[in-house]
Amino acid sequence: MNKKIFAVIIALCLVVAIAFAACGPKDPTITPDDPGTTAAEDGTTEATVADESDLDYVLNKGVIVVGITNFAPMDYKEQGSDEWVGFDADMAKAFAAELGVQVEFVEIAWDNKVLELDAKSIDCVWNGMTLTDEVLAKMSCSNAYCNNAQVVVVAADKAENYKTVEDCMELSFAVEAGSAGEKMATENGFKATAVIDQASALMEVTAGTADAAIIDSLMADAMIGEGTAYESLTYTVPLNSEQYGVGFRLGSDLTEKLNDFFAKAYAEGKMQELAEKYNVGAALIAQ
Amino acid sequence: MSFTEQFPIVFQALNTGFLQTVKLFFVTLAGSLPLGLLIYFAARSSFKPLALLFRAIIWVVRGTPLMLQLIVIFYLPGMVFGKAIWGSGEKGRFVAAAIAFIFNYACYFAEIYRGGIQGVPIGQTEAGQVLGMSKKQVFFKVTLLQMIKRIVPPMSNEIITLVKDTSLARIIALQEVIWAGQAFLKGSQGIAGEIWPMFFTGVYYLAASGVLTVALGKLEKKLSYFSI
Repeated sequence: MNKKIFAVIIALCLVVAIAFAACGPKDPTITPDDPGTTAAEDGTTEATVADESDLDYVLNKGVIVVGITNFAPMDYKEQGSDEWVGFDADMAKAFAAELGVQVEFVEIAWDNKVLELDAKSIDCVWNGMTLTDEVLAKMSCSNAYCNNAQVVVVAADKAENYKTVEDCMELSFAVEAGSAGEKMATENGFKATAVIDQASALMEVTAGTADAAIIDSLMADAMIGEGTAYESLTYTVPLNSEQYGVGFRLGSDLTEKLNDFFAKAYAEGKMQELAEKYNVGAALIAQ
Repeated sequence: MSFTEQFPIVFQALNTGFLQTVKLFFVTLAGSLPLGLLIYFAARSSFKPLALLFRAIIWVVRGTPLMLQLIVIFYLPGMVFGKAIWGSGEKGRFVAAAIAFIFNYACYFAEIYRGGIQGVPIGQTEAGQVLGMSKKQVFFKVTLLQMIKRIVPPMSNEIITLVKDTSLARIIALQEVIWAGQAFLKGSQGIAGEIWPMFFTGVYYLAASGVLTVALGKLEKKLSYFSI
């Protein structure tokens, strides 16, 4: 008898759980999939859903959770240290101090950055994020703060043969899934395989499983060439020029707050100072 | 940086990651072993709707990839409630991963229990009844006892699979040992572009499954004192 009652209780719990799962598939269809959707539309749907503003939400929590991926020189740890540093990390700390909240860095899987924001497991993506059409459609983005380019990385001894986009057509590429590099590969009609991150793309080239990779020029400067981890690689063709921004949830009022903060930090020279410290001074965009 | 300089740094990071792997492993076992039995009862209940519901649940859980279940369990509640229910930081990710793993493994265990229980000859139950034992006594003192002995080999299989399945939790950025190894590919603590830490994680899995194989073998032997 007792057993039966107990079983019924578990059953009820599970029904609730399944009801959840059933609601699930509907959700993604609500989010605008089409990058062409106008920003105004996004803004209004979001505004009706959120009863408390994103800024209030973060202030009430007393902590801003920053999604990152361990990406030198933007967000990384020095040897033997457990503290996140880098141009983005230091700016995020300064922004949190400005808001009067704590800052918490969380490593995320880059593919899931929009999911992480929507699920509120992070409050912003601040990790040298390229402002692509997709990113702009799914997130509320700050003003651009850094210039970047997508570059083609090949083995140094073959670099001579691949100086133009046409030369690269015959190569097989490895690109980070969901990255700006993947987008460039599609746009140029390259044969590309999506891998889990930019470092894996480089590893594919060193392992010979791909002929070339497309990664951020800021990362290429830091990671490949003589005296680095990937001495046998070099980069040749720049495919585009693009910019980095910080992403918040759609309709968030934190975006405006950050833009104001950027303007202030730039006027005070603090932003330039940090950019010099992490060797991204040349790429910094005036605010 | 030479290999000898890298090794202590990598070793420490992998140990931290492996601790997370081991934690997830034990939490999953502790939760799913009893939950599996409850799910078995529910799925075999004489109350038909309950039985059907649970058979459907077992179908869904066994019929979808664990990786997908991890994503749904971690991300969906925040989207539905507009609030992160799992808590912040790595702890939240661990809790979500543990729940997904417990539920998934419990459904597999429920089926193994079913096989074990149905494999006990009906004569054993009848003998218990003849001796005047209650239904409860027959289950716990006759059927369950013999079931445990029978299910050790299939359970060993699942348990060793579980050690390796824990690596799936990296999809929600739980920093288990493979994640820790891969960090050195991207660049972490001054080491970048190194693939060997990732290969080295294999040593941890081999050691863990070696220990488990020996332990489960001993358990099997210990339980073989009676045969039917």
